[in-house]
Amino acid sequence: MKYKGAIDTMLKLKTYRNRTLAIVVSFGVLFLLSMCRKPEPFPASGYDERLSGGQNTVFDATSHAFANAYPGLDAGESQLHDLGDSKFDATFVTAPAPVNSGLGPLYNNVSCSGCHHNDGNGVPTAGDAHSSLLMRISMPGIDSHGGPVPVPGYGLQIEDKATLGKLPEAKVDITYSYQTYSFPDGETYELRRPTYSLSSLYAPLPGGYMLSARVPLPVFGLGLLESIPESAILANSDPNDADGDGISGKPNYAWDPVSQTTMLGRFGWKASVPTIINQIAGAASADMGVTTRIQPVETSFGQPQYDGLNDENEMPDSILTALDFYIHTLAVPARRDVTEAQVVQGKKIFTQAKCIRCHVETMTTATDVAFPVISNQRIHPYTDLLLHNMGPDLADNRPDFEATGQEWRTPPLWGVGLYERVSYPAHFLNDGRARTLIEAIMWHGGEAFQAKDYVSHLGKADRDALIAFLKSL
Amino acid sequence: MKKAFIISLSLTIMAIAGCKKPDTTATIVTEQQVLTDFAGKLANPNYQDIQSKANDLNTAVVAFNSNATDANLATAQSAWRTTRAAWESCEGYLFGPVEDDNYDPSMDTWPLDKTQLDSLLASSNALTVSDIDALPESLKGFHAIEYVIFGVGGTKTAAQVTPRQKLYLASLTQSLYNTTTALRNSWDPAQGNFTAQVTTAGSGSVRFTTKKAAFVAITTAMSGICDEVANGKMEEPLNASGGPDSTLDESSFSHNSTTDFTNNIKGVLNAYTCQYNGTTGASLHNLIAQKNTSLDNRITSKINAAVAAFGTINVNYEIAIYTQRTQIIAVQQAINDLKDILDDELTPFIQQNITD
Repeated sequence: MKYKGAIDTMLKLKTYRNRTLAIVVSFGVLFLLSMCRKPEPFPASGYDERLSGGQNTVFDATSHAFANAYPGLDAGESQLHDLGDSKFDATFVTAPAPVNSGLGPLYNNVSCSGCHHNDGNGVPTAGDAHSSLLMRISMPGIDSHGGPVPVPGYGLQIEDKATLGKLPEAKVDITYSYQTYSFPDGETYELRRPTYSLSSLYAPLPGGYMLSARVPLPVFGLGLLESIPESAILANSDPNDADGDGISGKPNYAWDPVSQTTMLGRFGWKASVPTIINQIAGAASADMGVTTRIQPVETSFGQPQYDGLNDENEMPDSILTALDFYIHTLAVPARRDVTEAQVVQGKKIFTQAKCIRCHVETMTTATDVAFPVISNQRIHPYTDLLLHNMGPDLADNRPDFEATGQEWRTPPLWGVGLYERVSYPAHFLNDGRARTLIEAIMWHGGEAFQAKDYVSHLGKADRDALIAFLKSL
Repeated sequence: MKKAFIISLSLTIMAIAGCKKPDTTATIVTEQQVLTDFAGKLANPNYQDIQSKANDLNTAVVAFNSNATDANLATAQSAWRTTRAAWESCEGYLFGPVEDDNYDPSMDTWPLDKTQLDSLLASSNALTVSDIDALPESLKGFHAIEYVIFGVGGTKTAAQVTPRQKLYLASLTQSLYNTTTALRNSWDPAQGNFTAQVTTAGSGSVRFTTKKAAFVAITTAMSGICDEVANGKMEEPLNASGGPDSTLDESSFSHNSTTDFTNNIKGVLNAYTCQYNGTTGASLHNLIAQKNTSLDNRITSKINAAVAAFGTINVNYEIAIYTQRTQIIAVQQAINDLKDILDDELTPFIQQNITD
């Protein structure tokens, strides 16, 4: 603006040649000074805060809000995205079969969308046809890559379904105990505390095994999260709480089977997965029993359920690539009602309560000349992708690479206001124990205790405003 | 002088415009009426119809099992087709419990897991309804029933249906009926009452906090099925990686695929015009017509064009993917044209014009 203004002024001056030289000179100096201004980012007010995914934002608040492609894909990219979309929905069946062959012998679900309903987070039940909750299992200690130690005869996950004639590993039983609490103004809320156990074991389990219940996370926007520069994530880390604010922020480093190195973990509830393609291959293998070039060994290998078919890789590379592209290019839904007074107030409270310290509002993706739509995007994921100690109430007490039994990755909050539209009824937290956003907040402990405590002392109007803000995400 | 002339001219024009006969086709409807009738005259009757047809199918299967004649098998096959028609029609507007509660995958999962299905039939596993309910989706529902009663290539005879297949079939159709009942109940105002979520949109509905949201759910569902039919169901067998492949075709045992696709698009027509089995109500068509006649006309023509285009495919889809590729591509184009106008004009129109 300054630049343009200076030129306008000089053009005007030209028509009044008899003005004093001094004026011309002084404006000339001003002009030169404005040219000298160092480049800097636009101020935050110059952006539309609804655009949670930068240019990869879509205005869709329906049950399909998580299922849209980036608007800027070209025809070829759209075709690959659509192929991935159809394979994400595809039902895998027992080998040999002409289409989608390779289910099992051990599995949890028959399709990606079976758990990630509408690309969202499914339902927190186990064992039913439409259940989304799965149970990780491991022995104490670390394996050769620093990860969890498989349980003999079971591996790292309980597969609670099996193809005909094979035995599922176990049944996962969930029971809840309920307790009612109240805010100072008298409004009550109820927390349900889950207890997990295994029954119908196909083989004896050794003593000392550790369990961790996980529900799926929504799968949109992950391409943007993968594109955040590692340095930007590490900039927020404070593993030893050097600044003494009670909040750490610790990166997880996990094994990447593709590069055969240890990498910064970004995905999953404990940030134990470095890349999207690992997440896909890991889920195909552990959740569906479908092998890929990245996970070429059946999870049942060495167990009596193994099919001995030697048909690896069951998922062709072309399909894996399409799925990878599909997940990379799922757009982020835009925020709603951002200018409403209650939402604006809620955002202030979110900041004052220091929720925003871990649920970091803004990140910028790296420059990517190979894939410009994802390049240099200002996004609002509301996560730092770092681990935080969340206290004993939420602890699974099962370490996962560098994450301890009490640490969880800050989950992104973008889209959290749409969960109940995408997959009804909504649920929150790693095992879906929270049924409302207020319950999810009140489960926070450990490093997030101060934030939770702040919220628990709010008046009803402010509490409602905070929820209104979260629902606008 | 000039001013007076202009005023009188404009008055004349207004008078002429005022004389225009009221358009008898444009029924004046409110947004509320459209939502109320969508639930009352389309969704509820359609889900009831699916349930009732599934009951007929179950009855036909029981009759076949007690008297396994070719005529009784044909009756069962025909009942399968009519149930299928009612179901495919409701896919024109997939949102709400049918999606949220997974009724769709519970009864209409494809592909069938033929390997497991054959070993299940060869085993001595129990096949009661509760055993069927515990099976993965790829071993039950429409396509498992289709496989048993039509057989590969649609050549099944009554004599070929084994006692174990009969047992499986009886539980499959009972299970399908149970699922259609649960789906129907989910909308029933006296039970799950998803109806109220739609009819109170913008005035108390939890699912649709605005009327706009309910309308957008309808129009994006209409567009969603167009995408699935043209670019999924039709495209995959047509352009498989190794060339056309009829094993990738969804209803290949019954050769019912083209009918399935047509009924999907007719479902879009039903959603737009709020009609089911001869009953009509206040519709999106009425609402759009009174605000933008041209847009309404173009949408209506595109829906009709897409439905009519299917008439050019006059052999089984399994054969057509080899011999009538030009016609198939034209149908896909007609459906994609429809999808485009729904996405690019109808949904934005609703977003602009429905403000509460």
